[in-house]
Amino acid sequence: MSNDRNMSNGVNISNDYDIAIIGAGPAGMSAALVAAESGATVVILDDKLRPGGQIYRNVTQSPLQNPEVLGVDYVKGQALVARFEQSSIDKFFGASVWHVGDNGEILFSHASETKRLTAREIIISCGAMERPFPIKGWHLPGVMSAGSAQVMLKNDGLVKDNAVFVGTGPLLYLIVAQYLRLGVKVKAVVDTTPVSAYKRALPLIFSVLPHLKMLLKGVGLLNEIRKSGTPVYRFASKVAIEGEGEATAVSFYANGQMHCMAAEHVFLHQGVIPNLNMTRSIGLKHYWCEQQLCWKPELDQWCESSVPSIAVAGDCGGIVGADAAEDMGRLAAIQRIYRLGLISQQERNERAKFSQRRLSSFNTFRRFIDRMYQPIKQHRVPVDDQVVVCRCEEQTVAQLKSGFVEGGSGPEELKGLTRCGMGPCQGRQCGHTVSELLADWRDERIEKVGYYRMRSPMRLLNLAELSLFTQVESKGTSGQESQHEN
Amino acid sequence: MKTEVIIIGGGIQGCATAYHLAKGGVSVTVLEKDRVSQHASGVNAGGVRLLGRHISEVELSKAAMSLWSSLDEELEGDTGYRARSLINIAADEADMITLKQREIQMHKLGYRHEIMIDQQELRERLPYVAAHCVGGVVSEQDGYAIPYKSTLAFRNAAERLGATFLEGVDVARIRKIGDSWLVESDKARFESTVLINCSGAWADKVAVMMGDNVPLTHSAPMLMITSRMPHFATPVVGAVSRPLSFKQFENGTVLIGGGAKGFADRANNRTRLDYAKLAIGAKNAIDFFPIMKTASVNRMWAGLEAYMPDNLPVISKGVNAGNAFHAFGFSAHGFQLGPIVGKVLAELVLSGESKFDLDAFRIDRFERKVL
Repeated sequence: MSNDRNMSNGVNISNDYDIAIIGAGPAGMSAALVAAESGATVVILDDKLRPGGQIYRNVTQSPLQNPEVLGVDYVKGQALVARFEQSSIDKFFGASVWHVGDNGEILFSHASETKRLTAREIIISCGAMERPFPIKGWHLPGVMSAGSAQVMLKNDGLVKDNAVFVGTGPLLYLIVAQYLRLGVKVKAVVDTTPVSAYKRALPLIFSVLPHLKMLLKGVGLLNEIRKSGTPVYRFASKVAIEGEGEATAVSFYANGQMHCMAAEHVFLHQGVIPNLNMTRSIGLKHYWCEQQLCWKPELDQWCESSVPSIAVAGDCGGIVGADAAEDMGRLAAIQRIYRLGLISQQERNERAKFSQRRLSSFNTFRRFIDRMYQPIKQHRVPVDDQVVVCRCEEQTVAQLKSGFVEGGSGPEELKGLTRCGMGPCQGRQCGHTVSELLADWRDERIEKVGYYRMRSPMRLLNLAELSLFTQVESKGTSGQESQHEN
Repeated sequence: MKTEVIIIGGGIQGCATAYHLAKGGVSVTVLEKDRVSQHASGVNAGGVRLLGRHISEVELSKAAMSLWSSLDEELEGDTGYRARSLINIAADEADMITLKQREIQMHKLGYRHEIMIDQQELRERLPYVAAHCVGGVVSEQDGYAIPYKSTLAFRNAAERLGATFLEGVDVARIRKIGDSWLVESDKARFESTVLINCSGAWADKVAVMMGDNVPLTHSAPMLMITSRMPHFATPVVGAVSRPLSFKQFENGTVLIGGGAKGFADRANNRTRLDYAKLAIGAKNAIDFFPIMKTASVNRMWAGLEAYMPDNLPVISKGVNAGNAFHAFGFSAHGFQLGPIVGKVLAELVLSGESKFDLDAFRIDRFERKVL
């Protein structure tokens, strides 16, 4: 551990932590528990007020009288969160990290100030975000992502009556089922999973039999929805939101005809993708994953990125789900403490075996899910000129096309010409769409097209907060003996 | 590949030079090691500034200003240029004395474009300025343009006139054989009669290959931009004695600069920001404009920029070989000069001379005389 504090030049560059973990979801919490018992000084930062990440949001302090209605996969997080809360590492909640450097520098907003710390090893576990659903009218008031419906539910116990849920993927069905269990009326479910997905996924059915429980859970959700009497339109396509100034209806094609259904609340969802802003801003190497149709950081078997001192664990390294995220978090932490010299190579390899085995078994199931719920192209890559791609700067397909003709052949050049991706979300909402659009227009592989060059701050940063700059010092508390591992 | 002129560097100087040469009927090829406008020319603060220019730059800058006012029509493009005036704010009486001395010097030389204003006029022009600011100086024609678009507008216009732009061509070797310049990258070879070095932060490396030494350094001036704010400032704003400069664009976003430098990693095309310095910049912005307390920073970045020891550019014929020209080292204030530098270099190539006095910009001005 470092103790070379108080350098003569007066700059506190060495008040460091051995390990900093960003994001206290399943991956971050699991990593923290491994790191804490190793004797390393550990800090964890999360922008929420409580641990749990999106999946276990508020699991120990739910506003719902009976959080069990949210399902066993939610409440089982209570144990992990409780163990994590007992661990004695430094924890910053309500800490919005806006810069991570490959030199180990971390800057974050906390209690209306900018704080700085440095860490020898960093684990990024900032999770996933919902895949954008760039169709006509998706930006209108009244349209939300299904994930934000769940956030309202978990945070404040709020629901919207008579909403239409549109899209595909396990999370969509789960949220609908959660609504139904709470007695909320769901107007309809418009399922955009195409027939071809079943055909693609079918050959993998035998390889997922070891995960029969998970498979049955999914089937159970679909049955629950069907039994409730909620109208379900399957194999839907050509989805568009109608309305001037706000959503009034959703139109789609299903059962051989177009439908137009009045709706004030439309929840869209077509899966999740890694939350890229942090890994991109650091400058880690990324690649395009055909299986999940998204950019991912390049990681080795220890979740180590192209910058060796930085690991990426959980969904922000590629969508794996909460259980696999825990294993990734553990593997990342085991490798970090090995790099710090706290365990031997042999010990590392021994301790990693359990998680490595579990991970490879999760992967087969993930492949099945990915094939089954791959969002269809017309809902990822808009062709209608009027569809808004960049919501912050209100750039439509037509405007991007003319920027492309003007010379904006790469995402960065297109941004310079159209401002697409320059707004407050920093391209989170349009980055994947722009990569795919340009690949189509250039008739080239998406990897050649690339992605925006991301910069700090990773999220909006108040100027007054920036002007107040403080160095955070490690208290030097190493994690106390934790009885939990693997 | 053979051409009359090769320009190394696809920034605004190189693109503007290519435009004026192509307009003069010369075959010209621009070799850019990355993408056109990728570095300082595409990511600078976009200031179109005549105010406060070094005396030896005033004539060039004035000529550039008159080009800017009709550049969109000339290039049939969109540079985003807006004349908004530029005000340098005096924070105290010492600043006012500095301004007065400058005014005397400028008047002596017959320049009348910088006009001092008092506290009342400052407040009329900038209603949100902090109460402690006592006055300032204004230049009416100044304003801003969008750097990436401006550079691209020159490139597009040059291409329409027949200029060739090759991106991803990193020049590795240059030789002068007889009357020909032989320029090689690892993949291709080019040949020309005239060679022009507009390679910004990399210009010293290119100059050495051409046979000219130059004491160039490079750095990474930092900028940040806020998300949209209610409109509160029309003029571009600077400060007499503090590192502050900002401008509010039509869409409400505010660009904050001021010259604070991050760290430049030229070999890897990368910059690293110095956040503690940006924090000082944030503080300065709030000190001068308290309304900025509510601003949200959306992006921070830095570009790779070339600096000369005297902060004046090199605009010069080569010393050690004929048919060699240089324009670089603009020391973070070359964007506004781009249009005129292109014109001057084209004139130098075509006629061998310029109507401007370029003595202060000679590439060999730091060569010591051997006694």
